Amino acid sequence: MNSKFERELSELLEQNIITSDTAQKITAYYHTKEEAKPNRLFTIFGVLGALLSGLGVILIIAHNWDEMPKNLKTIFAFLPLIIGQISCAYSFIKKKGGAWIESSATFLILSVGATISLVSQIYNIPGNFSNFLLVWIAITAPLMYLLRSNIAVLLHLVLITWYACELGYGYRSPMPWWYLPLLAWVVPYYIRLQKQEAQSNIAGVLNWLLPLSPIIVLGTFTSGDISSFLMYLGLFGLLYNLGELPQFKNQKLRRNGYTVMGSLGTITILMVLTFEWFWKDATRDSYEQINIMLTSIPFLAAFAVLIYVHLKKHVKTFNLFQYAFLVVGILYLTNHLGYIHNIILTNILVAALGLFAIRIGINKSSYAILNYGLLTITVLIVCRFFDTNLDFIIRGILFISVGAGFFFANYLLLKKQRKSVLENNTKEENNA
Amino acid sequence: MRNILTAFLFILFAVQLFVPAQMIYQQEDTLVTGTAYKFKTRPIDPTDPFRGKYITLNYELNSFQTNEDWNDYTGNVFVYLTTDTEGFASVETVSKTLLDNENDYVIAESNYNYTKTVNFNLPFNRFYMNENKAYAAEVSVQNAQRDSIKTCYGLVYVKDGTAVLDNVFIDDMPIQQFVTEFQNEN
Repeated sequence: MNSKFERELSELLEQNIITSDTAQKITAYYHTKEEAKPNRLFTIFGVLGALLSGLGVILIIAHNWDEMPKNLKTIFAFLPLIIGQISCAYSFIKKKGGAWIESSATFLILSVGATISLVSQIYNIPGNFSNFLLVWIAITAPLMYLLRSNIAVLLHLVLITWYACELGYGYRSPMPWWYLPLLAWVVPYYIRLQKQEAQSNIAGVLNWLLPLSPIIVLGTFTSGDISSFLMYLGLFGLLYNLGELPQFKNQKLRRNGYTVMGSLGTITILMVLTFEWFWKDATRDSYEQINIMLTSIPFLAAFAVLIYVHLKKHVKTFNLFQYAFLVVGILYLTNHLGYIHNIILTNILVAALGLFAIRIGINKSSYAILNYGLLTITVLIVCRFFDTNLDFIIRGILFISVGAGFFFANYLLLKKQRKSVLENNTKEENNA
Repeated sequence: MRNILTAFLFILFAVQLFVPAQMIYQQEDTLVTGTAYKFKTRPIDPTDPFRGKYITLNYELNSFQTNEDWNDYTGNVFVYLTTDTEGFASVETVSKTLLDNENDYVIAESNYNYTKTVNFNLPFNRFYMNENKAYAAEVSVQNAQRDSIKTCYGLVYVKDGTAVLDNVFIDDMPIQQFVTEFQNEN
């Protein structure tokens, strides 16, 4: 317990706000909480140690000791793997704590990569890098379930993202199909974590890492044409709607990567879609069947989640962000009727989303969300500054209006907060 | 339940040991029972984040004049080998399919086909070296080939389509020894 808290506690006691009995209970509660802390620290340092030694082994191997005989090199190749396996088996059989499990799993995962690397090096096996990553991932993936290791999940996500980028990005690269089942492999573990330890640190980290991985990888499944934007919009719509599920929505915003990334991604893609070229090109492009299918998958998934949250009555108030992907989908399907109305409607949609964010910010008394909404409208106006033939006077007035909007909205929120503080104080005085 | 998990854990350990062991077995089998071929080459020096420094071997043997018309020239091709009068590897024929041919073959990646000439990349083009020697290898071999008539070749063992690059030689001297001498002289 820190000294500041102790001072506060004695002040509360002196002012007779809490009884000495309550003060003792609070002290005892924080003491027990602190007792759990060293274990957590031990886990973190254990994992860091394993990570550093594992990476160190890989670097030493990369040096290539060409004066060493081949047989000896082969024995050394298996050494880190066997050490990792023994330490994992020991931690598992002896039912050691989290620190042991996490450290040994980390070391074993890195050792598997080191051993395959060294064997490839000794025998000059050519094999491309993505195949090497795929084998590495495949023979370490079950560890997360067998050892219940959280770090194994994190490393798995990092490795599959790396694999997909390595294989899928580049000229005429194939699509990394194996990424999809390898990502799905994590889901049961993640669901169990959400049910049993939703407030844990690792659940918070995964709430960011799990949506981030497909965002990075989705580009490998796109063909680089107009449909890529739609595919990303579908994914961001899916993420935003997942973030509206109660298990994520009831958490702090900083623990809900789905909502944050879904919202930022939707606005970014929609901002691109407000330009004329997108809708003009969309009328010209003809698509291959595979592109249409791949684009519709994230859209359909997002739509399914949207229906689910409605059926389960998780939606209490209307939130335009949840429907943005659907609006653009409909606009795209009606593009053959003419693109001008689509450009206008997309601009209106982005402005409406900006206003919506401002409303959410005021309701939740959050300066961050409020200014995010204002920033959205500002960027929209800046974009129109370049591609419309509006008079300089009108453009000037628009900018002044938004600038005034910034001051006014922030002032309103400040006033609202002051009012609620005053009301609370009056209530407390009346109660006293 | 715990016993099942323990059994699964040990099965996984066995798989983790089997994968590199199987890689070693395949390579050793080819080295012991395969046929040795010398491929004329020139080395250059890049890096792999996990496996370290290596030299890429640009083989002289990279195309073959065929009389066949192929619709699709990408993908893998079977390169059937023979030996020329100087004792170096040469191509007997190149095919899209496995042939009833007694000669050894390697599987190469075809790049393009121009006037019925198939251009391909041989797969054994990486030779891992000590991190302090890889760049020196590139420079020393370049100098040697410029100053005098020296032949650089990769010794490759081939068996049933598996090819293992055993070592790289400059005029019958292993590249490691050649580079050490070059580094001592400079």
